[in-house]
Amino acid sequence: MLAGIDYFIVIAYIVGMLLLGLYFKKFVNSSEDYFLGGRSLPFWAIGMSIVVSDIGALDFVGVSGQAYRYGISVGNFDWVGSVPAMLLAAFIFIPYFWRGGMYTIPEYLGRRYNKSVRTIASATWILFFALDLGVLFWASAVLLNVLMGWPIWISIMSTAGVVGLYTYFGGITAVIMTDVVQMVIMFIGGFALVYLSLDAVGGWENMVAKIGTMGPEYQSHFDIIQPVGTKSPFPWTGILFGLTFVMSNAYMIGNQSIVQRCLTAKNEWHAKASMVFGSALKMFIPILVLFPGLMAVVVHPDLADGDQALPMMIKTILPPGLVGLMFAAFFAGLMSSVDSLLNSTATLFTKDIYEPFIKNDADDKHYLKVGQITTLVLLVIGVATAPISSDFPGIYVAIQTFMSYFQGPIFSILLLGIFWKRTTQWGGLSALVIGIGFAVFLNVFKADYFTIEDPFLYISWWSFVLGFIVNITVSLLTKKHSDAELEGLVFSSKIITKNKS
Amino acid sequence: MDELERLSIIKSAQINQALGVFIFIFGIIITFAMSYTETFVQQMTDLVAGLVLITIGGGMIWKSKRTIRKFKKTNDK
Repeated sequence: MLAGIDYFIVIAYIVGMLLLGLYFKKFVNSSEDYFLGGRSLPFWAIGMSIVVSDIGALDFVGVSGQAYRYGISVGNFDWVGSVPAMLLAAFIFIPYFWRGGMYTIPEYLGRRYNKSVRTIASATWILFFALDLGVLFWASAVLLNVLMGWPIWISIMSTAGVVGLYTYFGGITAVIMTDVVQMVIMFIGGFALVYLSLDAVGGWENMVAKIGTMGPEYQSHFDIIQPVGTKSPFPWTGILFGLTFVMSNAYMIGNQSIVQRCLTAKNEWHAKASMVFGSALKMFIPILVLFPGLMAVVVHPDLADGDQALPMMIKTILPPGLVGLMFAAFFAGLMSSVDSLLNSTATLFTKDIYEPFIKNDADDKHYLKVGQITTLVLLVIGVATAPISSDFPGIYVAIQTFMSYFQGPIFSILLLGIFWKRTTQWGGLSALVIGIGFAVFLNVFKADYFTIEDPFLYISWWSFVLGFIVNITVSLLTKKHSDAELEGLVFSSKIITKNKS
Repeated sequence: MDELERLSIIKSAQINQALGVFIFIFGIIITFAMSYTETFVQQMTDLVAGLVLITIGGGMIWKSKRTIRKFKKTNDK
């Protein structure tokens, strides 16, 4: 449990976040302010927010734990698994979404294909985001319980109170700006941890030499490319096809909580630049997260659970003050994941479900109110379902894995939707439904089809491939869209060279 | 420059100012935490981290104050 100055720092951070978030209330006067920050935010804030949303506290712990167990190959997720996809998103996809004045990815799918595709995509996201909320509330509560000694229910209520208040009042501006603070603190604390860890292990070369002598299971710890027959979940084929070609693109291009941030940019240049800046910051993440996990192999060689590597390193290596700061950044990472889910789900529900199906002729204030009420309802659902997570220890991984499954088919229809004029509404709809169904089938029978324990990278790849093939086949058999229907929705080389204000 | 653009610049500056205050205060707390450390390396780490936060926060406050003053003056003229 934390004590003294570190305890004070975590409390000060939580209270400061609440005050900062509430301050942004004064910038929310319309639904556009609430969901898109009035389209007025600068690229650097959005870029930082994208990185922080991508690497939440649970991933922070998980990645260093994977580095402890499998070595540096996990760094692929932040290098080839992010940077190319972010650049592709910046120069090809984001300009279409931004120019179209869109609020959500399903909104684009609705315009490009049909209302059913929009509704299925949106409902799927809403369902998974809502499920994820309870898990994240529980994880935050456990962290507060361990660090501060607060009872679980008080921890859940205080997390919900703080995050709920600033998301309810401040909307996405509060979400992005609190991420900026977290990013600054995470980088400063992270670099201090890497510096002091290197000092503790006697330098990089000494660490490599020591790990090399620790036994056969550590022999490939410094191989970034793992062979097909590796026991780790990161064989090069999965990394190349599942991660680089499908999952990373699906995440950076098709994930509402990521893309929504770019749509808050003050102009198209800032929207593109936010992704480019984010990709530059992303390259530092493995240094901050993966290296402490590796160094823990030398400092704490007998950890039963690799996920303890980062917390142990923080506790034993960092000085008082920075320990509190890093744990505050952990907690802020969880808050950041919760606020992103709250705001994105509220946007999806208001724009893709409420506006088209329930009330489409209301004034703007009405939709702002709907967004805020949806945030409150989600908060209640999250708090109510949080204790269920404790009965299912693997639920977070299961939800994340399932999310990765439907991202493959969604990416296949996004990709063909932009790059192939001939794809039709029926092609998109059947690809989405069959692709998701196939991913679920492969997950259920994974033991029959794959040799590695956790084949999520392969499942993403094959569900993407099937979605792609189904989309092409059905599109060729059905009536094509007219040029007028496709205007501003399909690729044109002008999108790369011209910016719109 | 139209009124909308001017207001947007002032809004960004106000946001940056709030962020700057938060980061600056945290920098002071981390620098103060030096007094709880045991070794010289720990002391220096807290000092450097605290000063970096103070510099970033202070820089943001200074820049945004300047921007707000400049664009409010433009309006008065």
